Amino acid sequence: MAVDTLTMTVLVLIYLAATLIIGYLGYRQTKSSEDYLVAGRCSHPVVIALSYGATFISTSAIIGFGGQAANLGMGLIWLTVLNIGVGILLAFVIFGKKTREIGHRLSAVTFPDLMCKLYKSPLLQYIAGFIMVVSMPLYTAAILIGGARFIEPTLGIDYATALVLFALITAVYVVFGGLIAVMYTDAFQGTIMLIGMTVLLSLTLVAVGGFTAGSSALSSMATLVPTSLAGQGMTGWTSMPALGSPIWFTVVTTLVLGVGIGVLAQPQLVVRFMTAKDNKSLNRAILVGGPFILMMTGVAFTVGALSNVYFFQTSGTLAVDAAGGNVDAIIPLFMNQAMPDIFVIVFMLTLLSAAMSTLSALYHAMGTALICDLWGRGRECALSMKAHQAGIVIMMGVSTALAFLLPVSIIARATAMFMGLCACAFLPAFTVGLYAQAPSAKAALYSMISGAAAWFVWTAFFHAAEAKTLGLCQAMFGKVTLLGSPWAAVDPIVIALPVSFLAMVLLQWQCGRDQPAGVPA
Amino acid sequence: MILGIPDPQIVLGYGLAIGLALACIVYGWLHWNEEDGSDGS
Repeated sequence: MAVDTLTMTVLVLIYLAATLIIGYLGYRQTKSSEDYLVAGRCSHPVVIALSYGATFISTSAIIGFGGQAANLGMGLIWLTVLNIGVGILLAFVIFGKKTREIGHRLSAVTFPDLMCKLYKSPLLQYIAGFIMVVSMPLYTAAILIGGARFIEPTLGIDYATALVLFALITAVYVVFGGLIAVMYTDAFQGTIMLIGMTVLLSLTLVAVGGFTAGSSALSSMATLVPTSLAGQGMTGWTSMPALGSPIWFTVVTTLVLGVGIGVLAQPQLVVRFMTAKDNKSLNRAILVGGPFILMMTGVAFTVGALSNVYFFQTSGTLAVDAAGGNVDAIIPLFMNQAMPDIFVIVFMLTLLSAAMSTLSALYHAMGTALICDLWGRGRECALSMKAHQAGIVIMMGVSTALAFLLPVSIIARATAMFMGLCACAFLPAFTVGLYAQAPSAKAALYSMISGAAAWFVWTAFFHAAEAKTLGLCQAMFGKVTLLGSPWAAVDPIVIALPVSFLAMVLLQWQCGRDQPAGVPA
Repeated sequence: MILGIPDPQIVLGYGLAIGLALACIVYGWLHWNEEDGSDGS
């Protein structure tokens, strides 16, 4: 790589020092467990928006999904539509305000704690906490991989060292500073991401001769779609895959719906709503959040797709071929080859920011779930800062170990899996809990268990992409999946979320009918 | 073909993404000083 290592190292060290100083400022403001867990419930709107956005957008969105856009085309722009429409507008207006109001009134400090208090059911807190502690390390590991994979060639250090250092540095300010430090650093990192993605879009458009010229060139490359992809329904990089084809199901159900809807019930994002002082703060955060997300995923997907034009014009290959078949390596390769040296450094900091902001939120959410919702639930120690610090360190260790075990090209898929599971397990119970007059704990329990179980069964036995990797279906039934096309391409969220909603609605209705008016179900 | 993109579904996707980002700005602007509901803290 042409970038001067000394310059790169100095700038990265300045960035890390700034992050740690901001984290230290957050630590200084952390006086109570409520500060540590929900940032004192008085965060500034811009901090909320940037923290929510930076937590939402990780290296998965930029490297993983950007790489998927390079491979599968601009159809991923529909994920940006859902990211903004569902992930910001719907999330803040319909879920955020109610979550904040109820969270304040019931003094909830974590997502499982909120579920427990909404339904007056400690069992729900255990189950929600358990699902978080089991599933979040997968997503965390994917983000660690994304970050380490870019650091490795850029700083010239080996992958294992990059991964461990990355995990440790992020953990430092989370462990000591809690959510205030996490949100302050998120805001700083979100600002860097905004600058980095703006420059990335500008330079990419310059490299391909503008958006119209670039997309025209990309359209004319439709005949170059690899036979293997064309056979599965891909029609080009500027058109949607053939309706109902395996690639259409992957793009629409896994990448667009799985991530687009899954965002609504992600515990680490729900907690952000509880840090707002009032609804006014959330309204103001929307103003910043929408454009922020557009500049993150919209740019990543556009640049990813257009990178094919650059690689074809400069080396006569498609992006995925230039990256040796590794989809996750496309964006880093494009950066290193197409961008000026100085921007490689800016983009390095952008990716570090994206990864660290999401990682820190996940460490905090996992660690607090382990201590507050599982180990210490209902006891005084559930609010102990020391205990939470230990919980965060434990979960950081688990995630890092998992990152060494996961296969290549896992980033986007692990993200979609985590978000899909969150939606299937939590979304119906969370929605009804916020809005029903007398929410039924029994309905929520069955909804969460059936949603999570249906998601797991479909993932392990029907959805080819994961079933093949897990190998459970192969071991038990001697074949990769139990059903063939098109079912093998249908994402688990399409099956499990309706199951979860159905269980919730039917049991809520039944409990409401069995209870006299005015008595909580 | 609009902006070099032949598929109207992709063009619509871009239009909606930009339109929703603008809607966020308008919403935040219009509700800048909106007071909380009755069950707020």
